[in-house]
Amino acid sequence: MATAVIMPRQGQSVESCVITSWSKKVGDEVKIGDILFSYETDKSSFDEEATVEGTLLAIFKEEGEDVPCLENVCVIGKPGEDFSQFAPKEESAAPAEAAPAAKEEVKAAPASVAESTAEAGSEKISPRARALAEKTDVDLSRVVPTGPEGRIIERDVQAALDAGFLKGAAAPVAAAAPAAVVSTEPEYVEEKISNVRKVIAKSMHASLSTMAQLTLNASFDATKIMEYRASLKASAESMNLANITLNDIVLFAVSRTIGDFRDLNAHFLDDKMRYFNHVNLGIAVDTERGLLVPTLPHAEELSLNALSTQAKVLITEAQSGKISPDKLSGASFTVTNLGSMGVESFTPVVNPPQVGILGVCTITRRIKITAAGDVSYPAMGLSLTFDHRAIDGAPAAKFLQALCKNLEHFDLLLAK
Amino acid sequence: MPKSQYVDPKKAFEPGFIHFEDIPVCQYNKTIEEEKKIYSNEDLMRIYRDMAIIREFETMLNDVKTKSSYNGVEYNNPGPAHLSIGQEASAVGQAYSLNINDLTFGSHRSHGEILAKGLSSIQKLDDKELYDVMKEFLDGSVLAVVEKHMNAGGNVKELAINFLLYGALAEIFARTTGFNRGLGGSMHAFFIPFGIMPNNAIVGAAAPVALGAALYKRSNHKKGIVVANFGDGACGRGPALESFNFASMDQITKLWNDGKGEGMPILFNVFNNHYGMGGQTRGETMGFDMVARLGAGFNPTQMHAERVNGYDPLAVIDAVARKKKLLEEGKGPALLDVVTYRVSGHSPSDSSTYRTPEEIQAWKDADPIPAFKAKLILGGIAKEEDFAALHEEITNRMTAIMKLAINDEISPRMDLEKNPAAISGMMFSNLHVPNLEPDREPEMLVPKEECPRVRELKTKVRTATDANGKPVSKMKVYNIRDGLAEPIIDKFYEDPTLIAYGEDNRDWGGAFGVYKKMTEAIPYHRFFNAPISESAIVGSAVGYAMCGGRAIVELMYADFIGCAGDEIFNQMAKWQSMSAGILKMPIVLRVSVGSKYGAQHSQDWTALTAHIPGLKVVFPSTPYDAKGLMQAALNGTDPVIFFESQRIYDKGEEFHEGGVPAEPYEITFGDPDVKRVGKDVTILTIGAVLYRALEAAKILEEKYGVSAEVIDTRSIVPFDYSKVVESVKKTGKCVIVGDAVERNSVMRDMASNITEMAFDYLDGPVTVVGSRNWITPCFELDHMFFPQAEWIIDAIHEKIMPLPGHVAKNNFTTIEKIERAKKGV
Repeated sequence: MATAVIMPRQGQSVESCVITSWSKKVGDEVKIGDILFSYETDKSSFDEEATVEGTLLAIFKEEGEDVPCLENVCVIGKPGEDFSQFAPKEESAAPAEAAPAAKEEVKAAPASVAESTAEAGSEKISPRARALAEKTDVDLSRVVPTGPEGRIIERDVQAALDAGFLKGAAAPVAAAAPAAVVSTEPEYVEEKISNVRKVIAKSMHASLSTMAQLTLNASFDATKIMEYRASLKASAESMNLANITLNDIVLFAVSRTIGDFRDLNAHFLDDKMRYFNHVNLGIAVDTERGLLVPTLPHAEELSLNALSTQAKVLITEAQSGKISPDKLSGASFTVTNLGSMGVESFTPVVNPPQVGILGVCTITRRIKITAAGDVSYPAMGLSLTFDHRAIDGAPAAKFLQALCKNLEHFDLLLAK
Repeated sequence: MPKSQYVDPKKAFEPGFIHFEDIPVCQYNKTIEEEKKIYSNEDLMRIYRDMAIIREFETMLNDVKTKSSYNGVEYNNPGPAHLSIGQEASAVGQAYSLNINDLTFGSHRSHGEILAKGLSSIQKLDDKELYDVMKEFLDGSVLAVVEKHMNAGGNVKELAINFLLYGALAEIFARTTGFNRGLGGSMHAFFIPFGIMPNNAIVGAAAPVALGAALYKRSNHKKGIVVANFGDGACGRGPALESFNFASMDQITKLWNDGKGEGMPILFNVFNNHYGMGGQTRGETMGFDMVARLGAGFNPTQMHAERVNGYDPLAVIDAVARKKKLLEEGKGPALLDVVTYRVSGHSPSDSSTYRTPEEIQAWKDADPIPAFKAKLILGGIAKEEDFAALHEEITNRMTAIMKLAINDEISPRMDLEKNPAAISGMMFSNLHVPNLEPDREPEMLVPKEECPRVRELKTKVRTATDANGKPVSKMKVYNIRDGLAEPIIDKFYEDPTLIAYGEDNRDWGGAFGVYKKMTEAIPYHRFFNAPISESAIVGSAVGYAMCGGRAIVELMYADFIGCAGDEIFNQMAKWQSMSAGILKMPIVLRVSVGSKYGAQHSQDWTALTAHIPGLKVVFPSTPYDAKGLMQAALNGTDPVIFFESQRIYDKGEEFHEGGVPAEPYEITFGDPDVKRVGKDVTILTIGAVLYRALEAAKILEEKYGVSAEVIDTRSIVPFDYSKVVESVKKTGKCVIVGDAVERNSVMRDMASNITEMAFDYLDGPVTVVGSRNWITPCFELDHMFFPQAEWIIDAIHEKIMPLPGHVAKNNFTTIEKIERAKKGV
């Protein structure tokens, strides 16, 4: 028999929730634990998981709909099964408001104008009633008190006056009508997002929601690599070298360091690890269409010059949008660089199923204390995000430490 | 961000040990020959002079208090004087390394600290700066006195010393020429131009206030460090301990400014004189043995804690200079345990029943001033006769200063007969300053149009009902939460000094969702989760505001006001007037009145806050009012207790024509609002009961033909009664309704005032319908405790005007009232 899925009540004060997205469509197979749809209250958002197996037979509420709690949202069952009993009832007229109670003409308590038995001087009278009495010369001994504890209140004096003992009073003023309320329409622009953006959104979200990511930040003294780069620049033409950038130097150092840390040059596949025999470096590239990550295979076998040249080709292809999809997969570890935009440290997001990603940050001046006194040096930041499911903090930190060391002694690394 | 900080069970259960570093105890051990290489002869003599000046100042006060005479000049001073004779070396040693940008906060025993910091600042400022400071302070009124009577022959530094001594003494003697017009007095004197911040008569209260000053420096990238001075007795107080923790919290170095690691620039400096009044901290009232030990309990750096000999000024200079360097390197907070002794006792009336004459004599024998003199003579820096001349000069100077300060013509007291508004005019600053630092761009993470909350607000429907009169769904309606959030987020993009914090403000979005979707837009150091430390939360906001910033702090439930009692009632409320208007206090303290959560989470405590002079108190109950009042609070410079009700956060705007405007607007504090026009009875409401009052008004109209006028107070302090009095003149009847317990409530206060103001127009007593004088029961019994629509009708029926055909269920009669009062319920 088919089963209806209701909008859960997430707390006593929640009356309705908005469906933000459907993960399944009508006709889809549904397994227990599959996410059917996502929804949000005014405070937080939730995913609704299937608790039965079957086929999604019907969806009653679309994305963006504000659904009262406990109402049916969809039905899961066997294909062809009848689910009409779960469909929401035709919008019957909203429960008619309770008929207004028959309006009785309510009047002030009929003050029977009788001879008062109160002794003169002992009567209670409100300041307001006394003021009215004095103004109108009403005969107080003939006013019947109807206030609490036998007090003469204004209406009693008024009743006496109305009964014709003395002068009349002014008519009451009508109450002003309540102000009308006008609603305003919100203004906005909606644009469809590109598929690349959708893919990025999905993988980034999947990455952050399924993995146990954390980021370690470190920095190293970039004096050596900056000097080295300057010397390369000077002799680039004569030696026919590519324009080797600091990022190329970092890529090179990663390719030579990560081999000793196989847990990071790997994929985490839930029940097993895939360790790579080569370093296939993913290079994050910012393109007009969004983020693309081409792969530089067997990077550890390339000379610095070859690595730089090949990386440039990949980046150009990615930016032109003509890169083969084959070159966008297979990376074992990724390097991304926001340093050129002045970012001092950040939290790169791992590209699953890879275990890690290295963020390259900008160079800032720092002070270190040496025997010769305090000296300023250029410090380049590195932000390593890794999946804690696959590797613990200490080994990840050791990689980062080794990488920093290799970059600080780049000349020695080249000699290896 | 904390989501990235994974709480790993494996790590949590990992076996191991916590390791502590040794905490140095009185390790300073330099000889005069070594010290001579560090300090010039002038430096050393100036250190001596400063100690001697403080000693003489305190001796003068001691003589005045105990003998009503000093050096032949007679005077009676009834005010307090908590003297620091014996603590001079600690004060001078500390001030030596501090600059004008470095701020000190102190206690009731702070004369020595004020003078030491003042003398140090005089030494560091050049003559022109110094003269300008004196000239500009309180329109030159303090300078005018010393310039006329003790101008020191045109030597600006000497003139400044006279200015400092006179300004402090005139303040102690409550003269209008004192540093705070005599409104602060002995325990509260301060002088901001020299970096001397307010001193506090509540033990330990300096800690959270100083913490706030450090927070101001840290969040606004300002130069200098902050020193919180308090005694060893204060180490038993929660606010001090809360501040140690708050200043140490991990996020400051790990999450703020992308984890760049700058710590809180604060030195908690304990002048450890062994006694909290008469209670001996080491050996009797505490268990820490040495104050410095506390550092090890608060963070892995052990707060760089150290114990130093406070009887040796050079040992203190050495320690403070090292701590200051640590703080400037971003390694704060730090803790110093400066061992000292006050031979003069807690106050001049101290009969020392708790200590022996031998003990006092032993400390007198160790007196830091003669000891330092001996050291200087030994080092060949000065001769005995040089000191004699110095002392004679100081005594003459002090005598002249005293004569000036007690002269009623030169140094008059505030004349409240001639100028009755002298104090009332200082209770609030009433300024309108939308941006406290217009020259600086507010630091935000995304442009305003990309702020998720701003985007969400744009999609909301700003009225409770649509064009056809149908209610807008809860998800789409612009509600009270939005009315609070909109001016707050606007202000974050306007005023760079604005910060907001409290428990669970950031990722959680505030316990009730007011701050949701703001985390993505506001950097950590402007918007953060505070530890569950209400004293430190409110106290730090006070220090933050004193320094020139604006803060919104939140206590989640109004019931937690008690946890921050001193900070709300004595700090936030009083500093504007105690400083004679020098300080401003732009703080909004948000507190939410709960429901459904039982006796400790459901109380409307407006009466507590309204009772304390110096606080503004508001309680909006519609989105339009919430926005307008929050906007006014955030544009102002006064402390505002902002009550909210959890019953009505979801309410849309039902009253204001056109709904809640998107543009900023202000509602004047104190202006009540007529939410329903009527002619027969006035119902005045405080907070969420507005909606129950409207329900009662509907029943009165339909069932009894009585037309009720419903007025929402919106503000409690200040409050303009004229609209209400006008209404009562029209109706002759008034019921005041609120969710607070009825006894001693704001409702009672208002009832009494309205009775006085409109007595001749009343047709019955102004009647109060509040909650029962009980604990709040469970939610299912809510209707038996909190005022309901029928209660209002019953009260009118029984107290003011019987309604034909009505049968009251609740007993509002006089007999019942007497019975309940007799039982105290």
